[in-house]
Amino acid sequence: MNLTRFLTRFWADRPLALKGLVVVALPLAILLVSLSLLFQASHAEEEAEDDVRRAFAVQRDTYQVHALLAEAAAGVRGYVLTRQARFLEPYRKAEADLPPTFDRLDGIIRDAEIRQRFERIRSLAVRKREGLHTIVELADGRLGNERNTAEIEAALVSNKIVLDAMRQEIDRIQVRENALLDQRLRRVEQVRNRFLLLTAISAIVGLLGSLAAVYLFSTGIVRRIGNLEDNAERLAQGEALNDLPQDADEIGRLAQRLTRASALLRGREQALRESEERFRLVIEEVRDYGIFALDPDGVVTSWNLGAERIKGWTAPEILGQHFSHFYPDETRDFLPAQMLQRARDRGTVEDEGWRLRKDGSRFWANVVITSLHDDNGQVRGFAKVTRDMTERRRSEEALRMAREDAIAANLAKSEFLSRTSHELRTPMSAILGFGQLLELDEETLSPPHRAAVQQIMKAGRHLLSLINDLLDISSIEAGATDMSIEAVDLDDVVQEVHALAAPIVATGGLTFQLEAAEPGLIAQADRRRLIQVLLNLIANAAKYNRTGTCVRLAYGRRGDDIRLEVEDDGEGIDPSAASRLFTPFDRLGQQSKTRVEGTGLGLALSKRLVESMSGQIGYEAPAQGARFWFTLPAAPSTPDKPED
Amino acid sequence: MPGHLIAPGDLLSRRILVIDDEEANVLLLIALLKREGYNDVHGITDPARAMQAYIDLAPDLVLLDLMMPEVDGFQLLEAFGRHERADEYRPVLVLTADTTLQARRRALSLGAKDFVAKPFDVIEVALRISNLLETRLLYERLRAQQA
Repeated sequence: MNLTRFLTRFWADRPLALKGLVVVALPLAILLVSLSLLFQASHAEEEAEDDVRRAFAVQRDTYQVHALLAEAAAGVRGYVLTRQARFLEPYRKAEADLPPTFDRLDGIIRDAEIRQRFERIRSLAVRKREGLHTIVELADGRLGNERNTAEIEAALVSNKIVLDAMRQEIDRIQVRENALLDQRLRRVEQVRNRFLLLTAISAIVGLLGSLAAVYLFSTGIVRRIGNLEDNAERLAQGEALNDLPQDADEIGRLAQRLTRASALLRGREQALRESEERFRLVIEEVRDYGIFALDPDGVVTSWNLGAERIKGWTAPEILGQHFSHFYPDETRDFLPAQMLQRARDRGTVEDEGWRLRKDGSRFWANVVITSLHDDNGQVRGFAKVTRDMTERRRSEEALRMAREDAIAANLAKSEFLSRTSHELRTPMSAILGFGQLLELDEETLSPPHRAAVQQIMKAGRHLLSLINDLLDISSIEAGATDMSIEAVDLDDVVQEVHALAAPIVATGGLTFQLEAAEPGLIAQADRRRLIQVLLNLIANAAKYNRTGTCVRLAYGRRGDDIRLEVEDDGEGIDPSAASRLFTPFDRLGQQSKTRVEGTGLGLALSKRLVESMSGQIGYEAPAQGARFWFTLPAAPSTPDKPED
Repeated sequence: MPGHLIAPGDLLSRRILVIDDEEANVLLLIALLKREGYNDVHGITDPARAMQAYIDLAPDLVLLDLMMPEVDGFQLLEAFGRHERADEYRPVLVLTADTTLQARRRALSLGAKDFVAKPFDVIEVALRISNLLETRLLYERLRAQQA
């Protein structure tokens, strides 16, 4: 069994060229064998016929020998009786013919027994011829006369015996030859029969061989090619391939490659299917975008969840419908066709505009249409992605309006502040102006009038400072204040502040101390506003310090900032009220307690000013008195000081 | 020293035009100027008539408010500039409640010679007025000598 399997395997693994050779060579070999057999058969028949011919020749020649000798003997006898020479003719003929006849016989005799007898016949023939010769000589008288007759008689008799012996030998040869002939004829018959048989066998074997070769070919090649074709068809249909034996010949290799190709193809197909499936799932599940496909005429061919959510139609309702359903009346007649044409021309087209939902309501849509092409570049449809921008448009609109409102409000506020400032100052100008004129001429006034003018001027100035502070705070909060932030030399500023504030401090009977931790400090600030803040704080310190002796202004570097402090050694501030220090109009009860004038806006304004210069402001309670501090960013480098 | 060159009477006889839509302010300035001794002072409260008054009166000094209805002070400054000869020095003192930097810059760039914020100190205003008139007077004399 193993051998069979091995042979089958071995055969299957041979190259096709060898198999073809074998298929052609096999019947040819069979034909060759039968031809050689035929040749052998005919050769044997020829030999057999030769033998038969030789047998006849031996028979004829032996008879001829006998006949020649018998006639010679009869002639000699005649001659002895008549002495007529013509009776010697047979004897002479025999003398002439016998040697060649014997030579011929000698050449053709093969059989050992016949040769034995032939040799005897030849010796007998010699004796016979000698006898006849003697008789002839005797008859010619060359050997005496009377006595001759008796001798002749004796010679004749002995001749007769020799002839008889020869005759017996010849008969035996004949018998033997006959036997041999029979034998040979039988052999010829046999050979002929065998020849016929061989021919028949050759024909059958040749036929069968051819059939076997064809069968072999068919099973080995045609059937396998058939299988291959079958597999190729399966490959084309995308079905699984049949398992084929893994033969090493060309067909086997072809089958293996087909199998490999199939595996590769199936792998790719699988990957593609999975990717398509994933993609399809993703597309279908996308909720924020309406994604759907159109055929070249604009008929909807696919529909996702997002499209359903945005437009309201379910897939079964809209599939097969023209996409112009999505457009409102005013654009339906031209826009859908225009969009498709533009998508055809440019590949993709984007649009924003109103579209319709199923219920007829409108939404603001962002639409992108992309044309899809087949392998020949023909448009085979369109992909359409729709986004519902209504909310965004609404919020953008709201944002835009809010921004416009804010800008308008800001402008209005600035305008309002500017007008208010003007409207409040203008009458103040008249009040204070006339009041001042009256003060200038106070000697012309009666004492009560003089006191009245003083009250008017005091109230008017207070009102003016209130208006100024209020407008300052408002304009800072409205962002309408122009801050010109620049590098400010603090030593310089402090000198100016000192000059300005010294009278106020002196009015309270206090000393004014300056403490610079280091000279040449430069801050990033608006010079005018910085002075305003310092004056505010110093004025406060001077105003509320009723028990102490001094107001101190100190400044120094703190990291990236510059810190300025205004401190007094008065009563200090009630810690419970400290948190309300920077609240507008909250004067912590000072107006009733100390009768110190104030708007209640100084600290609030200072806080806003410091903060709009990127600084911080605060209050801390030292051991004695009150301390206000604020910071300003230090300038990166020292500017050149003016030389004066 | 101007004191040596100009007699007080020379200044006090100069013609001054006050333009302000608020009557109280016009009255205040006139009262101030009268108190100082000026005797040729004119007041206008209707800005629409201001240009005509400026041409008719040809004042030596104008006290001008900026924020006025219909025709504001900036427009008047431009109109004065167009009307005036290039070598004429006819000073304008702007008095306004609009204290913004922009207003100050714009007024000065349009030819105003001085700027005072309302409410103002009357003494300061009186000093500025006499300074401007002095300059005007000296300028006129210089031109007369050259001519």
